[in-house]
Amino acid sequence: MSYIEVDNLKKDFIVKKKREKGKLLREKDTVNALKGVSFSVDKGELVGYIGPNGAGKSTTVKILSGILTPDSGEVQVGGLIPWKQRKVHVKNIGVVFGQRSQLWWDVPIIDSYNLLKEIYKIPQGDYEARLKELMGALQLEELMRTPLRLLSLGQRMRAELCGSLLHRPELLFLDEPTIGLDAVSKIALRDFLKWENKQYGTTVMLTTHDMEDIAALCSRVMVLGHGQKLFDGKLPDLLERFDTVRNVQVKFDTENPDIKLPEGVEYKRSEDGIILSYEPAKLPTAQLLSILQESGNISELTLQPENTDRLIAAMYKELDL
Amino acid sequence: MNTLRLYVKSIGMLLRSHLQYPSSFIMQTLAQLVMEGGEMMVVILLVDRFDNLKHWSGGNLYFFFGLMAVSFYLTEFFGRGITGDFPSMVRTGRLDTFLVRPRGVLTQVFCGGTDPRRITCIAVGVAALIMGSILSGISWNIFKVLILIESIAMSCLLILGLFMIEAIFSIFSVKSVELVNAITYGGRSACQYPIDVYPLPLRALFTVVAPFALTMHVPASWILDKPLYGWPLWTAFVTPLSGAVVFTVMTCFFHLALRHYRSTGS
Repeated sequence: MSYIEVDNLKKDFIVKKKREKGKLLREKDTVNALKGVSFSVDKGELVGYIGPNGAGKSTTVKILSGILTPDSGEVQVGGLIPWKQRKVHVKNIGVVFGQRSQLWWDVPIIDSYNLLKEIYKIPQGDYEARLKELMGALQLEELMRTPLRLLSLGQRMRAELCGSLLHRPELLFLDEPTIGLDAVSKIALRDFLKWENKQYGTTVMLTTHDMEDIAALCSRVMVLGHGQKLFDGKLPDLLERFDTVRNVQVKFDTENPDIKLPEGVEYKRSEDGIILSYEPAKLPTAQLLSILQESGNISELTLQPENTDRLIAAMYKELDL
Repeated sequence: MNTLRLYVKSIGMLLRSHLQYPSSFIMQTLAQLVMEGGEMMVVILLVDRFDNLKHWSGGNLYFFFGLMAVSFYLTEFFGRGITGDFPSMVRTGRLDTFLVRPRGVLTQVFCGGTDPRRITCIAVGVAALIMGSILSGISWNIFKVLILIESIAMSCLLILGLFMIEAIFSIFSVKSVELVNAITYGGRSACQYPIDVYPLPLRALFTVVAPFALTMHVPASWILDKPLYGWPLWTAFVTPLSGAVVFTVMTCFFHLALRHYRSTGS
């Protein structure tokens, strides 16, 4: 049995619509946030959980962390049912919400940590050792006496991570941890997560919109859309499935070359020449190149791979999300 | 024990964070003094004009006023998490962070708010109690002291219980706060005067629904040697317990409501 077992998880929300004119009561609408999601995660895995806004990512994380009670379906994390055995369960987990703070706003962060020590009943010795280790790994030594409100976004995220890991959780939920961070902070954060995962075998579940997070961290990615799981596997496999279009940028000596393109190739004129989008599966690259060569003297030619964000956008579109 | 320690530490930290903005803190504390002093002024003017209200003397009225002020503002001082901050805890998602920690949610809500500005209101209440005690010529004995302490403690629980109704509504993100305010803030304003000056419907409301009369007026009347409705001594000890009953019932409802908590989007 895996560490996390989720079976046929369902959750509906009732949303009240705006009251229509002439009607006394507002109409209600049911939103199926989760329509039967199943998956399992082994201990020590780093899993990326992606999907467009409103796909049900946060709902899943909230159920797994014991905040919400599902309508039906079974969930076990380390043998515990999160919403039924909440207090025992949450001792083993750490949660970082990218957009809301868990620490206290106006006091130095070390005071927040001292209070967390009380909340989690961490023994003094363990606490000191762990704090020292995390301060070093997250470069927080100089910020310890600074109130949270005076920290930059990147510093704050590091402080939040430290707070969520003080009690050595087995499982860490991260909800958009790199949102709004600069490149240096993002890389530092990813390096830290990799280190923590390797050092302690901490299982990490990460929701994000940043595909680089997934590419850098996660051996496995799950795609969620309309409350259903659409993909579960390795990132390269996911990309291969949707990475169907290639772009060629080409420049000719002549101003207006006469290119006879077969159907299915998109043609776009830009300042740097012509951009052609084609599907290698339908039109082999070699064939396209020979067509181009016949059309005139090529002065420049670049093949561009699709970037990951665009791919994901294309995937969401194809899956009708 | 551990919970109490956590509470003391949390409140200590919140007090320190209030003091991060000292000038704002002092200004607001003084504003509270003016506000509660004004309320007291109303009673003083009333006593000055009429000498007594039904069979209650001016000193008696100060005593009732002081009892309500001390109870109500002690509750707001130490139970701010419930009496004021809870709806915003739901709205901003702080409740989510409570739920992912291995402590009781209600404990954390209490640990999450304090309102030290109320200190001046409590001071006004204590002054009114002392004034009322002297003017009414109360002869204090151990029974009366115990009854006074019980009355204040139970009234605090009652007030917490009533504010929890609002908290429960906000878990379901229902905004029917005004209705609840009628018995919380309305109760405070009405029940700083003894209950028997009011007509029957109001007496019923504040005896059965929001039993301020039972937690405050019955014991206070006995301390003043004018037992309410002529009830015997034991009632002064027993009726305040209704505060604990209301609090317990509301705590159960609160936990029941949490199971239907929907969280907010992120």
